[in-house]
Amino acid sequence: MRFYVQKLMFYVVALWAALTLNFFIPRWLPGNPVDILIAKLSAKGAVTAATRHALELLLGANSQEPLWKQYLEYLGNLAHGDLGVSVTYFPQTVAQTIAQTLPWTVALIGIATVISFIVGVGLGQLAGWKRGSWLDNAIPVTTMLQAVPYFWLALILLYVFGSLLPWFPLNGGYDVYGATPGFNLDFIGSTIYYGTLPALTIVISSIGGWMLGMRNMMVSTLSEDYILTAEAKGLKPRRIMTAYAARNAMLPSLSGFAISLGFVVAGSIVTEAVFSYPGIGSALLEAVQNNDYALMQGIFLFITLSVLGANLLVDLLYAFIDPRTRSRS
Amino acid sequence: MHSSNRSQRPSAGFVFVTALVGAVLVLTGCTAGSSSSSSSGSSMTVFNGATGTVAENFNPFTPTALQPTFGVIYETLFYYNLTSSEAKPAPQIATDYKWNTDGTQMTVTTRAGVKWSDGTPFSAADVAYTINLINKVPALNTNGINATAQATGPDTVVLQFASTSFVQEANILGNQPIVPEHIWKNIADPTTNINKNPIGTGPYTLKSFDPQSYVLAKNTKYWSSGQPKIDTVRYIALSNADAASAALIAGKVDWMSSYFPGLKQLIGSHKNLAYVNTPANTTELQACTNVSLGCTGAQTDVAVRQAIFYAVDRTQLNNLAESGFGSVGSPTLLLPDRDKSWISDPKNVTSPAKADVAKSESILQAAGYTKGSDGIYEKNGQRVSVTVQVISGYSDYISAVSTMTSELKAAGIELKESQVSVNESSANVTNGNYELSIANFGASVSTNPYYMYWQNYDSSGTAPVGQPSKGDGARYVNPVVDAALKAAAATNDPAVQKQQYALIQTEIVRDMPYISLFVTPTLTEFNTTNVTNWPTNENTYAFPASWKNWDNGIVLRQLEPRK
Repeated sequence: MRFYVQKLMFYVVALWAALTLNFFIPRWLPGNPVDILIAKLSAKGAVTAATRHALELLLGANSQEPLWKQYLEYLGNLAHGDLGVSVTYFPQTVAQTIAQTLPWTVALIGIATVISFIVGVGLGQLAGWKRGSWLDNAIPVTTMLQAVPYFWLALILLYVFGSLLPWFPLNGGYDVYGATPGFNLDFIGSTIYYGTLPALTIVISSIGGWMLGMRNMMVSTLSEDYILTAEAKGLKPRRIMTAYAARNAMLPSLSGFAISLGFVVAGSIVTEAVFSYPGIGSALLEAVQNNDYALMQGIFLFITLSVLGANLLVDLLYAFIDPRTRSRS
Repeated sequence: MHSSNRSQRPSAGFVFVTALVGAVLVLTGCTAGSSSSSSSGSSMTVFNGATGTVAENFNPFTPTALQPTFGVIYETLFYYNLTSSEAKPAPQIATDYKWNTDGTQMTVTTRAGVKWSDGTPFSAADVAYTINLINKVPALNTNGINATAQATGPDTVVLQFASTSFVQEANILGNQPIVPEHIWKNIADPTTNINKNPIGTGPYTLKSFDPQSYVLAKNTKYWSSGQPKIDTVRYIALSNADAASAALIAGKVDWMSSYFPGLKQLIGSHKNLAYVNTPANTTELQACTNVSLGCTGAQTDVAVRQAIFYAVDRTQLNNLAESGFGSVGSPTLLLPDRDKSWISDPKNVTSPAKADVAKSESILQAAGYTKGSDGIYEKNGQRVSVTVQVISGYSDYISAVSTMTSELKAAGIELKESQVSVNESSANVTNGNYELSIANFGASVSTNPYYMYWQNYDSSGTAPVGQPSKGDGARYVNPVVDAALKAAAATNDPAVQKQQYALIQTEIVRDMPYISLFVTPTLTEFNTTNVTNWPTNENTYAFPASWKNWDNGIVLRQLEPRK
């Protein structure tokens, strides 16, 4: 019990540190939201001193209060779940913006990561079991694909499968011309169709790591005594491979997987920029470009929470899955 | 060791992957078939520059309202066509306006027979209500209009100003959306209401909204009979220029405004695509000019600025940076074609098209500069070396700066480039922390040069380096210019204004706080397969950019479906 309480306390401290950094970092960026909005408006119409004044009043950017007071207000608002109002999407609140965009990112990147993990671990397991087979040649290929910069790979695939052979759509989250959002087959089918190419690029670029790790762990696990015992006892090779070898070999990959789930929210900016996908990464990009403190803080908060949450989950899960760690505390 | 028997069944992983691929292909087949839109009536798609997620906001008083709010859903009293040299505006939901002699009272006659999209008749009372609302709630007053209004009849409204206010005319008539009193008097907080069901006088109303695209439908009660003709207009969001060009080629977008370097080849190879080029702004090098306000650097010397002006080869700049779509501008920062009548001295109508290195060098030498051993001029130990800031995403400006670097080197001036983000660039210019910055501005609401000159040359907006300026980022302080602007504001007579502008132009052409480079093209691309009657280079009945407020409504109501 004490083990778990200690872990929780540590994570609470880490959360507080993250929230504090979350407050200060956006304020170190140059420029302020009103200036940027004025610069955008002056490209499209007359901007006078009165415009600037009206905007300052409207956006509440008159932050004359001392920094520490703003910080305490920020922590207080967070406790009430009030993340503030976005400047980029004024007057939509930050919570609304995140609620609108987060599901797309979590669905796309989450599913892609899960598929990548399952396929990678599965192939790695086979490659480790049948050493010297053709699967061994897949390892350097997938590792090379992982080493290639992701955005470049994504752009190439988009060009080949979107423009050259138009098998997949070029941009968007669903077919805006045909499907209307809701729980209907058209919309769900459309989202799957539009999400296939981005998910494919994520899977291709990350599968190498899982495969390599799993293959190596399998090879070292296979030399353990209990595998020999299982074979001697006459168990089917399939059963030995899955129930004994893979299950033990998967442990390091599993903790890596839980951590990469935590990065699902954070790691989507490039994907969404390349595919014009309407997720939280593109909202973050807009927020940074517009010096939108409230939205930036809100998104950073979600990223921090998801990473911390994933780490905590891994910690606790590991103690659960692997009895050996539990017995030592 | 482990058995070498071949597995009897395929591995679970293999089965899973096959099933997944199969499912994807089946669903692809299903949805690809059903995605052909079955719309009764004509429709078109517009891309107006919206990126990422679209936030629902049709409140015309907020700057972040979706762009069709300004012109397609709500309208202004008059319409200023920035492509024509005709300074007088065209009637929209008002038909006439008149000032009193000292500019403290304006009487506007509204159009009869106009209806709001919910059927309620429009009247002068709505105009009075709008003007009074923004007067009462300063946060809504982004145009800086300083008036109270009273409706003296069903179609007459009188605006009262505290002082001579001729210069507010363009903002009131051409930039202020008019809202219905019967809806807005019941809105509790007009500053944060997103106005989900906008009721306006414009040619289209909102049909449906979702965060990646929204659809507008024809306003059947629109006051211009027979217009609009296109039944539905869809707006989409695309994240970058590549996505936009791909969408244009694929026929998914009918109207967009983006700059592609390869535009001519693109249009040439696709017969159903057309483009129009409507220059509106001048690209210039903005300089921090004023030593007494804290500016530093070689550009604070007017001789250096003039030398740069003559050393630049504008033809080469246009070809390399703007693929030839731009044109030579004017040192008065007005457009040589459209604004010719406002430029008094014929010598100031156009900038030199080719570089005049000899003149540039003689200007520097006359000011006491001598050429150093590295080929760069210097005076009192200070080399003529200036840094120009450019925004890192703007590929055409980055090309321009690198072209200018070699052009200026031939004249003995060193130009260094500093690429910064949009935020940093605007912060630097506002606070004066720059030497040169590549900037782009021009007429905004009306083609009368007053507004642009006031915004950029009037010293009332400026501030010392380190403090934010409201205008005049070049920190230019010239009492002659200030006095001329004041005199121009005090009158409604274009002839008197032209005299004052002549004084201003003499000063600014000599001092060059903004060094004119070239006229920036604004390229708009159309897909002519389904829609016709677009503005053309011969007949620009409106400024055709898909992002331009107010003109978007004029264009949309003129468009016709191709039979």
